[in-house]
Amino acid sequence: MTLPSVADSVEPAGATVGSGPPGEATRRHAGRDVFRAVTRNRKALVGLGLLVGFAVLALIPGQIAPDDPRAKVYPRGLGPSLHHLFGTTAYGEDVFSQLVWGTRQSLLIAVLVGGLATVIAVLVGVSAGYLGGTSDGVLSLITDVILVIPIFPLIIVIAAYKKNSGFFTLVIVLGVLGWSYGARQLRSQTLSLRRRDFLEAALVRGERKSYVIVKEILPTMTSLIVASFLGAAVYAVLFAAGLQFIGLGDPNSQSWGTMLYWAQNNEALGAGMPYWAIMPGVCVALLGAAFALVNYAFDEISNPALRLRRLEHKGAQELPSAPPAEVAADPEKILQVRGLTVAYASDAGPVVAVDNVDLDLKRGEFLGIVGESGCGKSTLLYAIARLLGAPLAGEITSGQVLFKGHDMVSLTEKQLRHIRWREYSVVMQSAMNALNPVLTVEAQMRDALEAHSEMTKREMRDRSKEVLRLVSIDPVHLLSYPHQLSGGMRQRAMIAMALLFTPDLIIMDEPTSALDVVAQRSLMMQIKELQERLGFAVIFVTHDMSLVSHFSDRLLVMYAAQVAEYGKTRQLFDHPLHPYTQGLLEAFPSIRGEKVPLTGIPGQPPDLLRPPAGCRFAARCPHAHERCSAAPPLYEVDGELVRCVLYEHQREAVAAQ
Amino acid sequence: MSEPLLRTEGLTRHFKVGKLLRQQVLHAVDDANFEIGRGEIVALVGESGSGKSTIARLLARVYKPTRGEIYFEGRPLSSLRSRQDRLAYCSDVPMVFQDPYSSINPAYRVTYGIRRALRLHRGDLGRTRRRQETERVLADVGLVPSAAIAAKFPNELSGGQRQRVGFAQALAFSPKLIIADEPVSMLDVSIRIGLLNLMSELREREGVSFLYITHDVASARYIADRVLVMYAGHLVEEGPVEDVIQRPKHPYTQLLLSAVPDPRAPLGLSDAADVGEPPKVVDPQPGCRFRPRCPYAVDECETVTPLLRPLGPARLAACHVAEADVGEPAA
Repeated sequence: MTLPSVADSVEPAGATVGSGPPGEATRRHAGRDVFRAVTRNRKALVGLGLLVGFAVLALIPGQIAPDDPRAKVYPRGLGPSLHHLFGTTAYGEDVFSQLVWGTRQSLLIAVLVGGLATVIAVLVGVSAGYLGGTSDGVLSLITDVILVIPIFPLIIVIAAYKKNSGFFTLVIVLGVLGWSYGARQLRSQTLSLRRRDFLEAALVRGERKSYVIVKEILPTMTSLIVASFLGAAVYAVLFAAGLQFIGLGDPNSQSWGTMLYWAQNNEALGAGMPYWAIMPGVCVALLGAAFALVNYAFDEISNPALRLRRLEHKGAQELPSAPPAEVAADPEKILQVRGLTVAYASDAGPVVAVDNVDLDLKRGEFLGIVGESGCGKSTLLYAIARLLGAPLAGEITSGQVLFKGHDMVSLTEKQLRHIRWREYSVVMQSAMNALNPVLTVEAQMRDALEAHSEMTKREMRDRSKEVLRLVSIDPVHLLSYPHQLSGGMRQRAMIAMALLFTPDLIIMDEPTSALDVVAQRSLMMQIKELQERLGFAVIFVTHDMSLVSHFSDRLLVMYAAQVAEYGKTRQLFDHPLHPYTQGLLEAFPSIRGEKVPLTGIPGQPPDLLRPPAGCRFAARCPHAHERCSAAPPLYEVDGELVRCVLYEHQREAVAAQ
Repeated sequence: MSEPLLRTEGLTRHFKVGKLLRQQVLHAVDDANFEIGRGEIVALVGESGSGKSTIARLLARVYKPTRGEIYFEGRPLSSLRSRQDRLAYCSDVPMVFQDPYSSINPAYRVTYGIRRALRLHRGDLGRTRRRQETERVLADVGLVPSAAIAAKFPNELSGGQRQRVGFAQALAFSPKLIIADEPVSMLDVSIRIGLLNLMSELREREGVSFLYITHDVASARYIADRVLVMYAGHLVEEGPVEDVIQRPKHPYTQLLLSAVPDPRAPLGLSDAADVGEPPKVVDPQPGCRFRPRCPYAVDECETVTPLLRPLGPARLAACHVAEADVGEPAA
């Protein structure tokens, strides 16, 4: 969320090393990226353009409007002409000159109030968040009080007392009353930062607390601080103009608000001098809009997640698309996936996260999908369950998913609602995020039951109790909130909810990865036991191959968006074919047998934005040779599928690809 | 016996929890006594909430002990009053954190922590020497080309690379003991082993000791010399790692070992699903904290807190029945 994150570099290591010291090279590189991001953002361009324009007016008004704005020397109430661009006032002053000279005060107020309010907001917000306890209580109370008091009337009262007291009183009053919103945001940001390890790391390193606040916390909040400044500036421009318009403040000052005040007093609109009244208002609006636009643009640039990206269909068509694979529905199989390809949009082009995957699932079968993070295993699940879309901007670009005769790819949301939960359900990785923290377990189960069935209250209650008992949770926990359950129990509750309608397929995305070994083991045993009893099929995604070794019937090993190996679990563990699978199995230390030195798999998976042309694993493969420069197809070996040329001479390729 | 590198005596840390009127005391760590020798890798294993991370933070001086004392090279930590002394301790005992995504400040280049550490603890180094030193520690942890890595921001590195940066920061101090709090548990299985190998290498090369905190017993066996098992704030078993894994004395250690997924072994039918949870130790009564989950519990476990007692060479366990009934692991 900080500015440097704009430098979302996709270049390989070493590309940034120039001739000079490395630091400088990246600084230049980052500067270029920021420049590019700004010039590509329309809001930033318009906002900054306006601000620069106003700044020029404020700095050199004399060069732009040579007329003295206060000289009452011209004929009164003139219409617009070449000499008087916006006519003259009822006192014989040039409206254009007044506008130009008035810019300085408005801009100055914006900058000074913005600065003052931001300084107070940072001091109050960060200390409240970092110190916590009583200091937080007192500071937050003050912030909240200022936040809720109606500021405009208060300022009118203050300004009326200090009438004609001039520019700096106005700045101070607006600044002192305008910081509370920013302070609230900074406080909550600091609170969330306090749980981040890097602050603790700084203390462990031996840093002083003051150093931690100034050098560790503040720089990570640059974007919020800038937003707080810009927000306060907008507020200052509007309020100052408003106050001057109703005659509070110095009526002899040169500002847009004062112009409005005099124009109003002379009923300029009705008296044929519309520009006198309209133009200052337009200027106030433009300056406010400029600050607001820069604020939005800053947010978008510093936080790439906010940018809405769509897969451009021009780009999508360039992707290699699989031949249309028509499958005949097979009653034995509840799920058939053919040639499934999913792509995400990114700034640098489409990223194919799932590349032409085929898989079949029989009734009651347990399929494990394993692979390193970023290999596309979760995306594959989401695509099958039709959960892609905002905020995951992935799209199925080709392929077919047949689930119990439904063509999942073409179903509408409405049709999906009929089969989701009833016929298949999904258990997510983090139960804490998937459960609603403010509802009891019972209320959440009731919501699901109400949305997908027509049960009576009593039936719903009975069913909820029944599924909780299934996962060995005492039904008294129906009245518990998620935070009152332990991690293991939350995951069990999630599985209970997935079982509400006894679906034929449950899709699980690393449901145990947040748990300890003991809880993990007992949850796995429970899933297997339920599966055998109720007969549903399971697709289970995990990065820990050993976890599913005793539970899954078949395993699909994914590497860099593709199927690397697919076969029976036992066979795959006993005789892994693909060097990647072999590497994965080699990566586990064991608690039994000889202690042997392990190597794991050196290196990292390739960048899916530009996958290597040949075998995607070649760069990390101990068996790589020149034949690997051509992309290997899937070969069938003893009923298993494997994508590796080592097996070329043994069997024919299954699918020409 | 000569003075070990680090030794604790009755180390205890409690936290106040609950509302103002119903304040309760959470016992995160109770009465922990252990030692870490020079050049030794000691694994501290247990479930989450067992107090492992609290011990790490006590040793790193993030928390102050409620009771008890930590002796480093024979000197009690409570006697470190001057900033000089405290900085010296910080440089001897750095810490590597669990989450590589949250332990590096995203606003700075990845070398920021290393450069700060060098500035704080080796202030005599000039600018150029500092840069050389930064690149040296990056290369030491396998981040090459180090000059290119040094110029990157955290978001440009993978999780495994970030965790290596964490170790590089610790090395910048020329440390004697590195506290590694679950350093690999958030990483992909395929790259975990690389970091574990790195830790062994650093011990061989630099003679650094490690306190390796984990819930993965297999990885503890892979790199550690000795293991401490923790349950609900108590140390329940201690011994040479191979010995403890082959012949666990405490029923909790046995449970922990039976839960380790091992693809090379057949699934034991005796693996009954244990649905118990480690308790939150709030205002505890005396007695064994594992007894509600323990298949061997006797009456004595209800009333008397078992203390660590010797059960063989270098072996300690806190269990009333360990010697009599649970001499061998249930097959």
